Amino acid sequence: MAFDRRFLLLCAGEVLVVAATDLLAALVIQAIVLAAFLEDRRGYGVFAIGIALFSGIIAASGTVLLPLLALAAALGCGYVALTLQDYRLARWAGGGA
Amino acid sequence: MIRPTRTASGIAALALALTVVALPIANPAAALAAGSLAVFLLWRGWRFERDLSAVAASLAVDRDVDRTILRQGTAATVRVRVDCTVPPGMEIRARDLPPAVAVGDAPLSLPGETATYIVRLMAPGETAFAGVALEAKDVFFSRNLVCRRLNAPHLRVLPAGINGNGRGTGTTGGDTEVNRGAALPGQSVRGFRPYLTGDNPRQVDWKVTARRGALYVRQLAGLEGGAPLIAVDLPARAGDPETFARFSMAVSGAVEGAIASRDGCSLLVVAGGEIVRFLPRTQDIREVLSALGGLAPLEPRASLYRAPGPAVLAVRARMPRHGTGPEAVYRERLGGILAAFAKESPAPFAAAVRTALGRAGAREIRVYSLLPAGDTSHLIQLVHEAKVRGMQVVLKAPAGAGAIPGVDAVEVL
Repeated sequence: MAFDRRFLLLCAGEVLVVAATDLLAALVIQAIVLAAFLEDRRGYGVFAIGIALFSGIIAASGTVLLPLLALAAALGCGYVALTLQDYRLARWAGGGA
Repeated sequence: MIRPTRTASGIAALALALTVVALPIANPAAALAAGSLAVFLLWRGWRFERDLSAVAASLAVDRDVDRTILRQGTAATVRVRVDCTVPPGMEIRARDLPPAVAVGDAPLSLPGETATYIVRLMAPGETAFAGVALEAKDVFFSRNLVCRRLNAPHLRVLPAGINGNGRGTGTTGGDTEVNRGAALPGQSVRGFRPYLTGDNPRQVDWKVTARRGALYVRQLAGLEGGAPLIAVDLPARAGDPETFARFSMAVSGAVEGAIASRDGCSLLVVAGGEIVRFLPRTQDIREVLSALGGLAPLEPRASLYRAPGPAVLAVRARMPRHGTGPEAVYRERLGGILAAFAKESPAPFAAAVRTALGRAGAREIRVYSLLPAGDTSHLIQLVHEAKVRGMQVVLKAPAGAGAIPGVDAVEVL
């Protein structure tokens, strides 16, 4: 139940992010909320840079749809790369490579 | 593939809900929240995979079996300890995977703990452990990974003894008939014949006697002297694995019994018109078992195309020619043609079998075959070559599988 409470706090934090009028403020709140959600923050800096770039793209484009579509495409590529990495790991562990 | 936990599913649902909110009202902050949550999940998945790779790379298994050479069906105690580097935030549990032919499951254990369990190896031959299964989990993802590289030590399983009826000697819970009429350990029943005055009353088989209504005695294998020749006919295709395992066990048991009770035996393994292995007059149980260790269904490289072989042709050529007129002429010509074929036919398989039978010097041949549908001409040639040498031929085949002409006795496998 302790973890469910943390998830509810994450949802409340997202409400704060959406309510922020400034994109920079939303970015800072989002970074803080997600950092608070984690116990192991190894590599969190890389993730923070990634979402900062995404917020920059949203601000530069002046629209919502195109950055979200571009992000969906990038996430699809990332998912394919993740699947490939998982396949290689399973093959190595199974003695196939 | 990695599986999302309930938390990861909740975050994905939250990202989807924020996307649905962001698109109609064109809210950049909601779009940022949705996108960053999606990126967050991908980043955590990548993090999980890297941690799992580190765990797999650092995995070490210390497995100890109380004996590595054991008899089929006996229990062996396995102690296993799995060590690995566990990254922060990740939970690892390990389960040892026993050999594929073993009965028994290992418990889940944490890294650094020693788990103890018991396995029974149910098939003879060389075998090894199947590896270690890891169950990795963090807050967002979980994954089961099987590491098959860590399979030491290798185990050697000797076959359990086989009685004349083809069943084991106590490895199963069912009733097993014991051949108490055998004069020596390892002797098996070759067949039955009517009782004659002077026969040992202890050799009377009361079941057959009751079934036939007359006294019948058991004829034991090995009373005629000479090491037997055990011929194994490998099927061309893999059928029912359980049937083939039973077949393999029966062959191993017969070889072990023959070596234990006599002056050794000879082993001939054929696959279609091809001799796969031949061991003449051996007493080395290890040599025979290693020859039998890798037996598997084998597609023959050459077919005999249902050729009966020179021995059968010679017999047909010598058939008596009765009658007069055109039929007698026809039979005379046919006999001449068959005799010519029998003389000129190279028949390399029959020649190789003849040589093997000569080297074996056996007076009895036991043919083990599953008798699959199709060409059995190699068995016909084998049996006829044996009959030409005056050998006793016993066919061991599954019930209802048919028979080979010229066989003296058929026993159910």
